[in-house]
Amino acid sequence: MFKLDRKLIISASVAATVALLIGGCFTENAMASSVLAKQQLTIDGGIVYPIVEGKTGPYYVDESTLKGGYTNGRMPTANEIKAWDKDVMADGTGLPEGEGSVEDGEAVYEAKCVSCHGDFGSGSGSYPALSKGNAVELQKTLKNQRVNPDADGPVRVFGSYWPQASTLWWYIRDGMPHPMSKTLTDDEVYALSAYILYTNEMSIAGEEVDEEYVLNREKFLKIKMPNVDGFEPNIAGPNSLQGVRKYYANPLNFGVAKIKPADRCMKDCQKPTVQVSRIQNGGISDFLPPMSTVRDLPVVEEVANPQDEAKKIYEDSCKMCHGADGMGAPVVGDKPAWAKITDKGMATVYKNGLDGINGMPPKGGADLSEDKFKSIVDYMVNTSK
Amino acid sequence: MNDKNSLENSISNDKILDRRDFFRKTAALSMTAIAGTSIFASEAVVDDSAIMHHVPWGQKWGDPVTKNLYGMPSEYEHNVLRRNTELLASGNYRASIAVTPIHESMGIITPNGLFFSRSHGGVAHVDPNEYRLMIHGLVEKPIVLTLEQLKRYPSVTRTHFIECPANGGQEWRGPQFNSLQFAKGFMSCAEWTGVYIKTILEDLGLKPEAQWMLAEGSDNSEMGRTVPVDKVLDDAMIVWGQNGEALRPEQGYPVRLLLPGWEGNLCVKWLKRLEFATEPWYCKEETSKYTALKPTGQAVQHFYANEVNSTVVSPSPEIPWTDLKNGQLIEIEGLAWSGMGTITGVDLSFDGGKNYVPAKLKGLVLPKCWTRWSYMHTYKKGDVLLLTSRAMDDAGYIQPTVDQETAVMGVESVYHRNGVETWEVTAEGKVNHVQIRS
Repeated sequence: MFKLDRKLIISASVAATVALLIGGCFTENAMASSVLAKQQLTIDGGIVYPIVEGKTGPYYVDESTLKGGYTNGRMPTANEIKAWDKDVMADGTGLPEGEGSVEDGEAVYEAKCVSCHGDFGSGSGSYPALSKGNAVELQKTLKNQRVNPDADGPVRVFGSYWPQASTLWWYIRDGMPHPMSKTLTDDEVYALSAYILYTNEMSIAGEEVDEEYVLNREKFLKIKMPNVDGFEPNIAGPNSLQGVRKYYANPLNFGVAKIKPADRCMKDCQKPTVQVSRIQNGGISDFLPPMSTVRDLPVVEEVANPQDEAKKIYEDSCKMCHGADGMGAPVVGDKPAWAKITDKGMATVYKNGLDGINGMPPKGGADLSEDKFKSIVDYMVNTSK
Repeated sequence: MNDKNSLENSISNDKILDRRDFFRKTAALSMTAIAGTSIFASEAVVDDSAIMHHVPWGQKWGDPVTKNLYGMPSEYEHNVLRRNTELLASGNYRASIAVTPIHESMGIITPNGLFFSRSHGGVAHVDPNEYRLMIHGLVEKPIVLTLEQLKRYPSVTRTHFIECPANGGQEWRGPQFNSLQFAKGFMSCAEWTGVYIKTILEDLGLKPEAQWMLAEGSDNSEMGRTVPVDKVLDDAMIVWGQNGEALRPEQGYPVRLLLPGWEGNLCVKWLKRLEFATEPWYCKEETSKYTALKPTGQAVQHFYANEVNSTVVSPSPEIPWTDLKNGQLIEIEGLAWSGMGTITGVDLSFDGGKNYVPAKLKGLVLPKCWTRWSYMHTYKKGDVLLLTSRAMDDAGYIQPTVDQETAVMGVESVYHRNGVETWEVTAEGKVNHVQIRS
């Protein structure tokens, strides 16, 4: 038996031994070596269950199924691979030619992004922020720890935190705008990237990304993120797996504890300084649906008339954007805003809604029939007269 | 709990193995019952109408078997649901999570409808006829497979938990949720059926310089993650079956990646493409998120396995002890799991981790799988308890204390929190989530 503070020291010596074992066994390609099987760790610091006498751990294995010889499927064509192999890697592999300016980026941003990501990428509601100010300065906040309620936390946005700019370009092209992804042109993606670099007050090869800046592939590849060296273990380079294995062989690197079961503390294990830490200010309890363990019949919500149903759907699916200013969508109840829209004629209003317009996806992203959708539009229009 | 169960529990609690002892013990119990001691509750004051009257479902036809050709839970179970909360909404619940009611969990399998649901662009609905899986990059022979062709590979069935690495991640700076569902419900456990990726690679010929695999989903966020080949060649699977049926859309129907024990986020859903390369990708969900910031300012990236962990399930804030009688024999039950191996033991503390006693493992104990554990306790009305569980695995890991873990990881890392968890049982039998820390 020993006290907690000694545990870490012992863990360290265990880790050192384990690290030596790993270094040896993996270089000799001993993935299934039965001699080392007991001590062998996987890349994550866990345990390997090699197949021994037809079983891996508790599971039987038909080893004859593992030998290959299958003729399922076919070779993809070159065009098929090209159509799907569109990822963008840190060295620029997959990044197409193109260009876009901060100015154009701002226009696309205002039309398609601001409703969720807020002005200048500052975020809105619980949607993620893209920038919080000067990236180089904010990178310095990453050591911040909110150990008391007043402390500022680390700022983890694109400019201050992300290690590679390639991620930004790739994700905007494939994942954004979120309700209708893969609809932006490559030039628009360059423009949006330029705008986000601008809002993060970043520079490329010593040149500030200002309002006049025009980004292209060549310049994009010169972006050095302020926090490029802020991550461990190292995953780049030809022998990176070796380093990753070594990293996870040492429990001190990632906050875990190792111990021989017989040596674990069973009595008087605590420092006198520990206290009972309680939920502050009532905690979080706005659960959806509310917490209940009651076993009764569900209450059936009666929908009295179509108007009430439309109202309910509006509140569940549309209010998020149409209920608040600053989301870019006309606010229900804002008479002048809706008058401008209905002036185009209801046929156009329906069509724009069904097809999507500006930042709004088709049918607002809601899963509704055309008729049902139109009834919601009617509700919103009537409420705004 | 009814009288019959109390009796069975008291019997099983004493280590009676032999038949003769059993009868002797039963006789002794009958004697004490007759003597009117506390083994049985006193006789009811009024007759129970649930017994005295015919019940409505007992006097008329039930449903024909032709109704509900895909069965549904009893209507009375309507509160057993996945739940969400505004904090986790990420706007409009598309890049969000609905968590599993593990306070209602039984055994080690989560029913498919309650399996936690996390997506990054909403739950995609994939047409299985249009489904294709492409494997290419540093392989001698790239391949494209339809769903039917994929399912022609020899199948492997394994029971594994999947855990979001942010399970408990809202509570690095102190407890926030007075709820087991929200404190630990970012995980579930199921029996998965699919094929080992290494089996497919036998015929494709992985080139020796390949170090990393990109796994990419076909959903609107094109969710991708980078996987080291070590895992691909160990136990990584491409799965299409979940608890004996097709994957649910929330789990990536028709096909997802399964990396046993690793971050749920790495188990890419709606899987469309695997590519092998020498250098890793920098996907959005392995840079902006799923990286654990330490007090040094360095963040752990490619943080793979969910570490050894455990929780008390009963009692919990949702299942308090307010109905227990003084002296009642009650099972303290919990779950333990490790993404790095197999659970070897669980200790339970009644004083928040100062002193521990070993608990018992129950049922099947499988690698990288939920494991049930139990401890029989005689409840003393008015006692205030701090129930803390601490699990160990066969890779040699043990759950750290909150202080031990935060000493290395700080309080801003969000992911991979596996420090011990504590429930306070109040004098009234209510249960509160607390943490024991300096």
